[in-house]
Amino acid sequence: MKYKSQAVAKLYFIAAIALFLGQIIFGLIMGLQYVVGDFLFPAIPFNVARMVHTNLLIVWLLFGFMGASYYLIPEETETELFSPKLAIITFWVFLAAGVLTILGYLLVPYAALAKMTGNDLLNTMGREFLEQPLPTKVGIVLVALSWLFNITMTMLKGRKTAISLVLTLGMLGLAVFFLFSFYDPVNLVKDKFYWWWVVHLWVEGVWELILGAMLAFVLIKVTGVDREVVEKWLYVIITMTLVTGIIGTGHHYYWIGAPAYWQWWGSIFSALEPIPFFMMTVFAFNMVNKRRREHPNKAATLWALGTSVMAFLGAGLWGFLHTLAPINYYAHGTQLTAAHGHLAFYGAYALVVLTMISYAMPILRGRAANPERAQIMEMWAFWLMTVSMFFITLFLTGAGIVQIWLQRLSSTPMSFMAVQDQISIFYWAREGAGIVFLIGLTLYIRSFFVKGESKAFE
Amino acid sequence: MQTTNMISVKESSLEKIEYQNLPGDFALWIFIFAEMLVFGVLFIAYAFSRAQNVALFNDSQLTLNRGFGAINTVILITSSYFVVRGVAAIKKDLTHQCAYWLSGALVLGSVFVGIKMVEFYEKFNAGISMSTNNFYMFYLSLTFFHLMHVLMGMVILATIIARTRRGAYSAKQHTGVETGASFWHMVDFLWIILFPLVYVIR
Amino acid sequence: MSATFTKSMARNVFYGGGLFFFLLFIALTFDTMQALPKRDNSQNITPAVAHGKKLWEVNNCIGCHTLLGEGAYFAPELGNVYPRRGPDFIKAWIKGQPTGAPGRRQMPQFNLSDADIDDVIAFLKYASEINTNKWPPNIEG
Repeated sequence: MKYKSQAVAKLYFIAAIALFLGQIIFGLIMGLQYVVGDFLFPAIPFNVARMVHTNLLIVWLLFGFMGASYYLIPEETETELFSPKLAIITFWVFLAAGVLTILGYLLVPYAALAKMTGNDLLNTMGREFLEQPLPTKVGIVLVALSWLFNITMTMLKGRKTAISLVLTLGMLGLAVFFLFSFYDPVNLVKDKFYWWWVVHLWVEGVWELILGAMLAFVLIKVTGVDREVVEKWLYVIITMTLVTGIIGTGHHYYWIGAPAYWQWWGSIFSALEPIPFFMMTVFAFNMVNKRRREHPNKAATLWALGTSVMAFLGAGLWGFLHTLAPINYYAHGTQLTAAHGHLAFYGAYALVVLTMISYAMPILRGRAANPERAQIMEMWAFWLMTVSMFFITLFLTGAGIVQIWLQRLSSTPMSFMAVQDQISIFYWAREGAGIVFLIGLTLYIRSFFVKGESKAFE
Repeated sequence: MQTTNMISVKESSLEKIEYQNLPGDFALWIFIFAEMLVFGVLFIAYAFSRAQNVALFNDSQLTLNRGFGAINTVILITSSYFVVRGVAAIKKDLTHQCAYWLSGALVLGSVFVGIKMVEFYEKFNAGISMSTNNFYMFYLSLTFFHLMHVLMGMVILATIIARTRRGAYSAKQHTGVETGASFWHMVDFLWIILFPLVYVIR
Repeated sequence: MSATFTKSMARNVFYGGGLFFFLLFIALTFDTMQALPKRDNSQNITPAVAHGKKLWEVNNCIGCHTLLGEGAYFAPELGNVYPRRGPDFIKAWIKGQPTGAPGRRQMPQFNLSDADIDDVIAFLKYASEINTNKWPPNIEG
């Protein structure tokens, strides 16, 4: 570790992994509820489990992004963090807010939680992914601002690289677009229209800047390829991301009451959205093939390549599968959407955070790379999680296709619940793959405790 | 490009090959190809949509102001010629002439924008919007998307003019001028396809 | 002419391109907002609808159901439940939960008053009359 203040990242990474574990456990609960409907009812109804599952995902990814930026910004800017103390305070505030919110979901009926937390003052709750009580939402804004402030101040006093600029821009966008979560008009169409300004412009817009910056950083470190080359491609890739992704928001506006022309705008631009992901894959493999040194951390390289491939498959290919309006007409709101959501979030965001952790954590623990045995276990974890997530996606895709067939294409359409019974085999298979994922994650966590001769710095 | 790095050596040699054929900056060409792709898909979508409802498209097309469209075509072609002269001038180190020619193109660009605004104003006054029908959706989308490119091109031209005046370019170093010129020609080229496609062909 | 494909050029294209498409997005958003009143059924938003939407939100209905195809995929689409089932069925259904049928998916009991349920139904009726470009493909959602 070159700079003392990078150490704050460790806290963030540990919290991220712990919350990740929580997310997967709740995922398995939901998966079981899909087939054993009354499992844990009424203690944890499906809607509560789902809220915990998705909110934990968002929170642990944010912890990951923050940890990653506290790690990489000092190194990029070649100066200590502006205020490590602020970063630590922010960490505890965010963790407390996150844990309290999850406990609130689990222990209090949602309507009572809304009443307790001032939803009557400004109603923002009860919308998918934005279920957080008002104080939590305000907390997220404050945490994001504190993060942004700390990173910006650090950058101002140090070297300004493309990676740190892009990362900061991504964070700025993250903070700005989250403000739309405070807008919840009665007009359902407007509500949905601007809801996507948070959700889509996050995951298919500004988050991709953060993703690109993190991936570029790790690639420079593990391959030793010239910074000029990496950063140039970073710019080209994220340009394509914004060019396609911003208007690509239109693929959410087909059937929610927005004008019909979005079917054209959305289809055309979102059909191009796989391009930046494909460029990212080509770029990552190119860099690794042209590497100028053998970094002792093999696992980190695997995670980085995995990110580029799985992001392309999940976000690019599975997104394209149902993005064209005539296809989306039948696919909208089915298990196919769930399939895409799982692989995209795992491939693009979960993996990039794990890539960063894989690279940075050994260094934060005072070594260049983990012992051989630990790395092998980590790589096993990578394969178990990645393959099982791929199978989850395949099973949900199967479920989605049959669902579309029986419920929407058939001349004698079946009702929703009747169709759900027909596709339960896919849900059982998905749950099985989910258990393998949990085993992979357990192995991943165990790999941190494997002892052995660690690789020293060169 | 002096570098020990394998990939950059390889890349720069690749770029040099491309460079012998393409004027201006390679990055901009990536951008231009991407643009062509987007417009290409839009044009195909237009043709596809028209094939499904030829009568509606033909009827609506008659309401467009072809005179404005034709004048704008002439304006853009002329402006492209000015840009060509501008590039030729900087290649002979004639900085002032270059700036004059490019400024001429910039003025013509703003005339194009002015005429387009009048045209849009007429349509909006007639109560036409993107939701009126599929033809108007394409007409407004394509022309507005193109108009934004003209504005973008004008910003680029203005930047280049300012830099030319400051003496940033010369016969030896004029990549910036060629890059901006390439973009402007693309905007012109797109209009040359767009005008007959949307205003004329029946 | 060595540095032909420079980082600063890529950066300029990034800023220019990003800004360009964001402005285009704003323009389209502006047009959408102009066009919405004809499509979004907002003329039928009554206090009952507004209250119904709030009840929809504070009971986290979206955590299981989809509404116009967005939400969770655990329980039926409710954007068109009003024409599919009608108000009386919906009311009886909400009141009768949970069914307690073993092994079946369960909907919680939300303890809503009759007036509250009527407002939820008013909201669902309003939602079903939004112009969604003929989605969903059939009444089953």
